[in-house]
Amino acid sequence: MAELSFTKEVQKLKIGAGETFHGEGILAVTKALLQSGVSYVGGYQGAPISHLMDVLSDAQGILDDLGVHFETSANEAAAAAMLAASVNYPLRGAVTWKSTVGTNVASDALASVASSGVMGGALIIVGEDYGEGSSIMQERSHPFAMKSQIWLLDPRPNLTSITQMVEKGFELSEASNTPVMLELRIRACHVSGSFKAKDNVRPTFTLAQAMENPVRDYGRVVLPPSNFVHEVEKIESRWPAAVSFIKKHKLNEFLGGHGGNLGIIVQGGLYNTLMRAMELAGLADSFGHTDIPIYCLNVTYPMIPDEVRGFCADKRAVLMIEEGQPEYIEQAMNTILRQAELDTRVVGKEVLPRAGEYTGQVLLDGLRQFFETYAPEQITTNTSLALTPKDQKQLTQSVPLRPVGFCTGCPERPVFTAMKLVQRELGDFHVSCDIGCHLFSILPPFNIGNTTMGYGLGWSGASAFNTKADKRTISIMGDGGFWHNGLTSGVGNAVFNKNDNILVIIDNGYSAATGGQDLLSSRADNAARVTNQPIEKAVRGLGVTWVRAVNTYDLGKMKATLKEALTTDEKGPKIILAQSECMLNKERREKPLRQAAIKNGKRVVRTRFGVDADTCTGDHACIRLSGCPSLTIVDNPDPLREDPVTHVNNDCVGCGVCGEIAHAAILCPSFYSAQLIENPTRLDRWRAGFRGAVIGFLQDRADKKRAKYSFGIDL
Amino acid sequence: MKSVRPIKIAITAMGGQGGGVLAGWIVAMAEDNGYFAQSTSVPGVAQRTGATIYYVELFPKDIAKKAKQIPILALTPVPGDVDIVIASEMMEAGRALLRGFVSTNTTLIASDHRVYAISEKEPLGDGRQDAAHIRKLASQTAAQFISFDMEQAAKSAQSVISSVLFGALASTGKLLFARKDFEDTIRASGKAVQANLRGFALGFDHANAKVPNPSVRQKTNSAPAPLLVPLLQFLQDEFPLATHEMLTHGLKRCVDFQDTRYGTLYLDRMAKIHQLDQTCNGARKYWRLTCDMARYLALAMTFEDTIRVADLKTRASRFERFRQNAGASEGQIVIVSEFMHPRIEEFCDMLPAPFGRFILGKPGLKTALGVFFQKGRRVQTTSLRGFLLLNTLAALKPARRISLRYSLETQRIETWLNTIASVAPVNYMLACEITGLQRLIKGYGDTHARGLQNYEKIMTVYKSFETMPLAHKQLKTLKDAALLDENGLALEKALSKLQKRRKT
Repeated sequence: MAELSFTKEVQKLKIGAGETFHGEGILAVTKALLQSGVSYVGGYQGAPISHLMDVLSDAQGILDDLGVHFETSANEAAAAAMLAASVNYPLRGAVTWKSTVGTNVASDALASVASSGVMGGALIIVGEDYGEGSSIMQERSHPFAMKSQIWLLDPRPNLTSITQMVEKGFELSEASNTPVMLELRIRACHVSGSFKAKDNVRPTFTLAQAMENPVRDYGRVVLPPSNFVHEVEKIESRWPAAVSFIKKHKLNEFLGGHGGNLGIIVQGGLYNTLMRAMELAGLADSFGHTDIPIYCLNVTYPMIPDEVRGFCADKRAVLMIEEGQPEYIEQAMNTILRQAELDTRVVGKEVLPRAGEYTGQVLLDGLRQFFETYAPEQITTNTSLALTPKDQKQLTQSVPLRPVGFCTGCPERPVFTAMKLVQRELGDFHVSCDIGCHLFSILPPFNIGNTTMGYGLGWSGASAFNTKADKRTISIMGDGGFWHNGLTSGVGNAVFNKNDNILVIIDNGYSAATGGQDLLSSRADNAARVTNQPIEKAVRGLGVTWVRAVNTYDLGKMKATLKEALTTDEKGPKIILAQSECMLNKERREKPLRQAAIKNGKRVVRTRFGVDADTCTGDHACIRLSGCPSLTIVDNPDPLREDPVTHVNNDCVGCGVCGEIAHAAILCPSFYSAQLIENPTRLDRWRAGFRGAVIGFLQDRADKKRAKYSFGIDL
Repeated sequence: MKSVRPIKIAITAMGGQGGGVLAGWIVAMAEDNGYFAQSTSVPGVAQRTGATIYYVELFPKDIAKKAKQIPILALTPVPGDVDIVIASEMMEAGRALLRGFVSTNTTLIASDHRVYAISEKEPLGDGRQDAAHIRKLASQTAAQFISFDMEQAAKSAQSVISSVLFGALASTGKLLFARKDFEDTIRASGKAVQANLRGFALGFDHANAKVPNPSVRQKTNSAPAPLLVPLLQFLQDEFPLATHEMLTHGLKRCVDFQDTRYGTLYLDRMAKIHQLDQTCNGARKYWRLTCDMARYLALAMTFEDTIRVADLKTRASRFERFRQNAGASEGQIVIVSEFMHPRIEEFCDMLPAPFGRFILGKPGLKTALGVFFQKGRRVQTTSLRGFLLLNTLAALKPARRISLRYSLETQRIETWLNTIASVAPVNYMLACEITGLQRLIKGYGDTHARGLQNYEKIMTVYKSFETMPLAHKQLKTLKDAALLDENGLALEKALSKLQKRRKT
């Protein structure tokens, strides 16, 4: 079960022609897929397209009714390979993933399907994780499209444009026998809005028909001599077909006015940001009315030379707004203009930054610079900053960074606490990290980890260190990464190459960082998938003999197991399965049940933790070993002490890690667990009454004795 | 080109604070009341406790209809062009200011509470950033600045902060919707409706300043117990007024720790310090040495041994406090377990000094006995067994004076006081700083040992710069460094820097 349930939103997928769809960008894409008569959909979750996968998972019933096959692929390569179904048959299919990381993984299959060419429309929806909030290397998906010859769509970020482009994308794919990539930026995936819906369409040709009537065409297989033929085909027939389709259907838009000798060329996805910047520069109004001609590239690959020439012919200079680098579009523009012997200046990266997201402010600055050079009379002057440089400086120093971290009660935290404690005893180790929530170990307060090479590549990232040394290396991998490819690239690789190091697999039952989707090893039952395939069985099947499963909340055992793995004389790969359910998902599942039980009069014990302010001395060693968001600090109630004391706030879910830390690291006696009993039994009440009477008597006596030393003032 | 512009709202929050819910409410309300609405957010790992921005733009439909156009709405806020900024925490308001979202046209709604970042929580001392200048800048910059502790308000309404923020937003009147429209939106969402409406109402009224600030608790004042009268009299007679408050706190702590005799010892030690202060013309420094020592001597004399911990853990007032912290309702059964891990060292600390020294001096014996102290213990203080165990330990209080720990602490305190006595006439400010070194000694077990080690390191090195000008600043630098990280890297660096300076 994923982190978010879309059972309500899924109903929106059923609406028909004439109705208005309200919702998030990525849901609109899902609806557009159904309107396009898609036969199959696959993909791998990851922000910003996780919701697309989650919605489809929750929409299983609707998909079945329409005859659409949906698959949660093992990884992006598996998803891309799924497009093979469109090579021989008139089947429309779509796959999706987070880019560029997913596209990297998928590129082998993508190159193959692009070489073979497709008969049915093949759409690749990539969520471009670039700019603010991104958690990956900052790169572009653009060159993948260029190198394999896949057409790249970058629609304006409103739901009408996006959904239209999904539908046109399939047509373009079929018209040019080429897969098409639809690029959506993070905020566009999560932009809310509306569009006029159409009826869903059942595919006219079904998957079953294809299976029952297979068609084979040697010319479509990537093997000599067909592969050479494909290359020629790409240039001689598919490219021209695409160019003429794009022109004919006006996929690129000529917006704005017709005046002057200046123009702007913009990637479709940046159009709204550009218009806001133009509005602020006094060049446009809220509806996008402007005198400046704008050429909006909803298709960023291939370029349409006729359109470029036509747009630039009467212009002195054009501003090219292209996010990221290298600036492929700008380069292509210059080539086209040079070949046409046009003197129009293309001004791009000389006024806009080479790196970083193109936000409103960035574009505003770029626009100003461009117009100050070419038409200074057209723009309004700069507004002044609200803060003085001194205030700015003071704020910079005082506003703390908020690095992402493990959630309250996260079962992964104690794994790294244990590692930190082991490192105190045995010295530091080389730690190779993976992709997933566990990567937060690299940040404070743990500061554990050297590199991260990609999803599932934690162990292979340390494979060079497979030599005799006095210390072993530790690698981390999540269950998500394990099933994505770590099983072979990490574990299989280590067994085959006689690795003597350690792998810790964080087995929390979900692909947690991407939104809590189910995996092969998930403990939950899933009607549509097979789960409950233990990782331990898989790694033993590959030949690993040293395998230990440890409950992550048992800090003492985790520490002992890590120490054993690091110091044992036994040779060969060592795997520690750190097991406990993702707290975010567990709470989501159990909290309503707990509340219902309390309401129904059932005996329920709620646990939460606390710190005694009068024994806490404010050293915060516990915080440095935990980092739990619910473990915070408050003013010291003691007038003599200056440093703030530790405090457990109301978010505590009672996981018990702070108590375990106090034990394992021999910290301090301030931690306590408080169990609140809801709907106590008679025995509970009797016992509590008896204890209360005795304890109360003793406490009364002590209080009376203390009263003899009363200062009489409450200081 | 002048035209109607969209209303731009930025919500700056931390992941998990319900910023998405708030944005969703605004969008739903606007769409139901004749507006185009668009919201965006950045999903993914940023939402796992990181700082993030939810951005909303609204545009009136009738204007668009008249123009027969659809407005183009942006996906990110532009500095200087945001109408309403909603910050779910004070530092996030600071971040909004820093990013330029708050301009002279902006309505800023910010909850005046702090959620500390890990960099503020980690240090061994006090790493908290001060939000006062953010409050000042916010009220100077924003056209309208609404701020109160919305976290507290949410708690009192048993709701979440997003509902209080929504109420505060309604009260600004910046969105042209009626209070009912806001409330209907909450109702239509169908989730935790009653709680959210309570939070909303509190937010609305608070922002209109209809809710009085909680009054300061009255101090109770009754006559001191007869046993204490002579001590308090002595305090009043012998010490200058400026030192009375700190001394009374210190005296109270010492008496509470042991008995009135111990309180007398405290005052005697303080009297000597005050005498010293007088000979050093301390009055000119507002009796800084006496005041500082009143604080730190009391802390040093009330060390956290097992007896002290057991005493504090078994008090009735403490039972009341944990019930309150856990949110237990009247009469609800609460079972409390302590996480204790006494080591052989703590056990020996409690023994009569010669025995304790004997065991700790024999490594073989220490290891053999150590077997019993390897595991942490969970002591259930609310059970009879657990309570009686701790109560018995607490009852050892009268025997504390013969314990090893008492003798060790007394020895250290005497050395420390002697140091002060010798330094103060030479360098008054340095003596004050040495007094403050007590701040390094805190915690239990390894933490305590580490603090003590740092303390001793500085206590041996200070002599080398005792006579230098600004020696007190040098000492403060070392102390601050010792509080910076637990591995002592900062202190090592500061010490080696000092050594280099001395050589040159």
